[in-house]
Amino acid sequence: MKDFIIPQFPPGDDRDMGTKIGTGAPVSLVIDGIAVTVPAGTSVMRAAAEAGVDVPKLCASDNIEAFGSCRLCVVQIDGRRGTPASCTTPVAEGMVVHTQSEKLRKLRRGVMELYISDHPLDCLTCSANGDCELQDAAGAVGLRDVRYEAPVGGRLDNHFARRNGAEVNALYIPKDDSNPYFSYDPAKCIVCSRCVRACEEVQGTFALTIEGRGFDSRVSAGAIGDDFLTSDCVSCGACVQACPTATLQEKSVIELGTPQRSIITTCAYCGVGCSFKAELNGDQLVRMVPYKHGKANRGHSCVKGRFAYGYAKHKDRILNPMIRNSIDEPWREVGWDEAMAFAASRIATFRSIMAASPSASSPPAAAPMRKPIWCRN
Amino acid sequence: MKIYVPMDSAAKALGADEVARAILQHAGARGLDVQMIRNGSYGMIWLEPLVEVDLGQGQGRQAYGPVTPADVPALLEGKLQSLGPVQEIPFLAGQTRLTFARCGVIDPLDLDDYEAHGGLVGVKRAIAMGARDILQEVVDSGLRGRGGAGFPTGIKWKTVADADAAQKYIVCNADEGDSGTFADRMIIEGDPFSLIEGMAIAGIGVGATRGYVYLRSEYPDAIRVLTDAVDIARARGLLGPNVLGSPHAFDIEVRTGAGAYVCGEETALLNSLEGKRGTVRAKPPLPALEGFMGKPTVVNNVISLATIPVIFEKGAGHYADFGLGRSRGTVTLQIAGNIKHGGLYETAFGVTLGQVVNEIGGGTASGRPVKAVQVGGPLGAYMPVEKFDTPIGYEEFDQQGGLIGHAGLVVFDDTADMLHMARFAMEFCAVESCGKCTPCRIGAVRGVETIDRIAQGDTAAIELLTDLCDTMRDGSLCALGGFTPYPVMSALTHFPDDFATQKEAAE
Amino acid sequence: MHFNAPAPTSEDIRAIVTPLTALEGPLLPMLHALQQEFGFIPQGAVPVLADLLNLGRAEVHGVISFYHDFRDAPAGRHVLKICRAEACQSMGCDALAQATLDKLGIGWHETTRDGAVTVEPVYCLGMCACAPAVMLDGQVVARVDTARMQHLLDEVGA
Repeated sequence: MKDFIIPQFPPGDDRDMGTKIGTGAPVSLVIDGIAVTVPAGTSVMRAAAEAGVDVPKLCASDNIEAFGSCRLCVVQIDGRRGTPASCTTPVAEGMVVHTQSEKLRKLRRGVMELYISDHPLDCLTCSANGDCELQDAAGAVGLRDVRYEAPVGGRLDNHFARRNGAEVNALYIPKDDSNPYFSYDPAKCIVCSRCVRACEEVQGTFALTIEGRGFDSRVSAGAIGDDFLTSDCVSCGACVQACPTATLQEKSVIELGTPQRSIITTCAYCGVGCSFKAELNGDQLVRMVPYKHGKANRGHSCVKGRFAYGYAKHKDRILNPMIRNSIDEPWREVGWDEAMAFAASRIATFRSIMAASPSASSPPAAAPMRKPIWCRN
Repeated sequence: MKIYVPMDSAAKALGADEVARAILQHAGARGLDVQMIRNGSYGMIWLEPLVEVDLGQGQGRQAYGPVTPADVPALLEGKLQSLGPVQEIPFLAGQTRLTFARCGVIDPLDLDDYEAHGGLVGVKRAIAMGARDILQEVVDSGLRGRGGAGFPTGIKWKTVADADAAQKYIVCNADEGDSGTFADRMIIEGDPFSLIEGMAIAGIGVGATRGYVYLRSEYPDAIRVLTDAVDIARARGLLGPNVLGSPHAFDIEVRTGAGAYVCGEETALLNSLEGKRGTVRAKPPLPALEGFMGKPTVVNNVISLATIPVIFEKGAGHYADFGLGRSRGTVTLQIAGNIKHGGLYETAFGVTLGQVVNEIGGGTASGRPVKAVQVGGPLGAYMPVEKFDTPIGYEEFDQQGGLIGHAGLVVFDDTADMLHMARFAMEFCAVESCGKCTPCRIGAVRGVETIDRIAQGDTAAIELLTDLCDTMRDGSLCALGGFTPYPVMSALTHFPDDFATQKEAAE
Repeated sequence: MHFNAPAPTSEDIRAIVTPLTALEGPLLPMLHALQQEFGFIPQGAVPVLADLLNLGRAEVHGVISFYHDFRDAPAGRHVLKICRAEACQSMGCDALAQATLDKLGIGWHETTRDGAVTVEPVYCLGMCACAPAVMLDGQVVARVDTARMQHLLDEVGA
């Protein structure tokens, strides 16, 4: 497993910066005329993001290693040949980078035209409508037309149509709904490998792979005959979060629609205290997304916080603080101020009792240290 | 008498084993004392099986070929028409054989024979020189990677030598998948110790103790020969904890590919060697710094490494004296396809394409006019006859919109349909794409479909194909997707008539 | 391995691959060893290899499915690989291949009904100066014309 990447962000910035930031000595470069200084080892893409310049991307995400497969993030660098991918190109002192040019626009449109030629055009009814990086990237590169079509009497090979011409499309793989929390729809997959890499690098479960090769490459959850449920998947949801399209999608989003607002909250399960973005429509909770600025979890979580949030609307859920003076009394619902004051006074009382006790002068026997427990409840 | 029958797989594919059996059978029946040596091939494939007979009467080895089992009685009776001494056959006489000097001459698995023909001189000199001087010698030779990219070998070695790591590796890329190329196979089957010696020198030079040869599964004979040669080299101390008694340890393991052309790309090869999917890695990091198992690794082609011994045997200056411009030394041309005199031709850089095809190769096998020559494998451009004055050299071909790659030339006569060849280039890319980057994964499939539309007379598809080729060339992660536009666009540019036939027929 | 042979057990599989564990990057040599033994990679090998090499089952499957050499089912009794690469095309391999497939009544990657021969494309056997070439059960034959192909098919009883 690769080293767990701890993303660093400007406070409050939820953007995906593309790649991690380097750790070396400061390096200064110019991107689209903007001077920026970043640590050595940082990618050109990240440096651009730091400078406020968004380079179109699909396979890069700042919690996994740069991969260099989507070829949308190409840039031009003065004095260097070709159009290197900005995600896998490290910054160098004095580098002059251009993220926009006619050549780059044409290249990005060409790549996007290929992507869309193997993607269903069902955006309006798609569960990721409005929350789809592929859709955003197509807009950002200005794709206006897909010119690829089948030769007369022939086929346009694709993974999204059940039938191709008169025949059953052998490349079409039906949706895998075996996992209770999310579905996998290969018809929408752009094979960016973000899910596979998230499973390896973020979660460390190695439940996913790309099977086959070339145009036949597909995300797979194991050996022949396996689906997501029988695979090694632990339903942490890192792959779903990593997916830029509706290929891996929470079933709640499919059912309830794209969430419109969000609240940062803390997971109600174990003591780790993972931060979540609770995404809602009105007061309807649609999904819980691990919050990337959460100090305890940095954008990742376990299955419970991610998917088992049914407690949120449960009638027994405790919504307000409760206190009682002794164990034989019933709980009493109070306001936060009263609850805090109560707790503080009890602690103070306890402290004074302890200070007065004879054993306080000698150091207490070392208590056996409890092993830290990772989300055991 | 000594009789030499090649065990090169091309010779075998043309009946060498049957001829060898017939010789032993007839000689036995006649009570002749025959010592049979299974040598490598000299590379005159149209003469294979090329049999040499040494009667031991001071006349040396007399060549015969192509020999069939039916010729054997006459051969043994001295009644078969001889080609004379093999070195006097013009195809061989015209060559400058440095890398292939021993190929065909010696018994490939006889280390003493190897040593008697200049072998091991290089590694002994290298051991005496020390690492720094070894690196300088390779830089001075001007040797550039013979796998296709033409990167200076000495610079690559220096990068690995300067990297700080407890373990370094020498990896030999023997995944010779380009159609029209067989030099790697021939040298492995005909002179495997030259590769082993070259890798040992590389190991000593950069401080690597382990070497791997990644050899494609389509070459079972080469795998057998090299595996045997490595065992012999280990038994004789050329490999092991003390290379030829020196303090340097170096050993080699032969690994078999599994049917993936893309594993000829060095980073895909490293992934495959590590037991992973053979997908291409983004560079940086360079393999020289983070290669096999993440350790500094020299990845060199077979011919690059097999040329190292002669550079150290004769000196860097001797090698660098041959060549043209920045292309120093010799190039091992592989003349193939529809060609009268096909085979391996080692010569200094600078000979023109036309000379190779018409003079050395003798024109097409079919006797029809040459239409195009694909130079540099399936990712190389189709060169029309109008470009026949282009000298063979890295920069010279680059200027003509081509590449010399691994120096294979595939000749096509005028019956070739260049639209079909362009379609095949896309189809091949689709079959062999690793699937990682989008331009190659989807682009190659779209390329086939778009060329089919052109064949149907859809003129709009020509512009689309051109745009697609731009996208693949500029956008692909490696040379497979990046260079497939060479054959496609060269076919479209130089042979536009082949792309208009259907349309005209339709009109 | 014959069509009707019993499926290899995990013990069979483990016995074949365990001696290769010490290699650096042992997965491909292991897969080659299994295919050498059984003629294909049995599905049961995936969990064994995953366990032995501390890999995910998915990873092992991803590797096997990447390489065209590795089969998930046994081939016919003989395997005929016909080179389709450029040098062989310049000498007419397309027509030769099509005629052969037509004669056998199968397509690429298919096996004749009697299980005698599987025909597969191959991209270069290094016989480019003596094209077209084919490989029958690991033996390369060059400068193949219709007559020589018929002779090969006769040899394998197809």
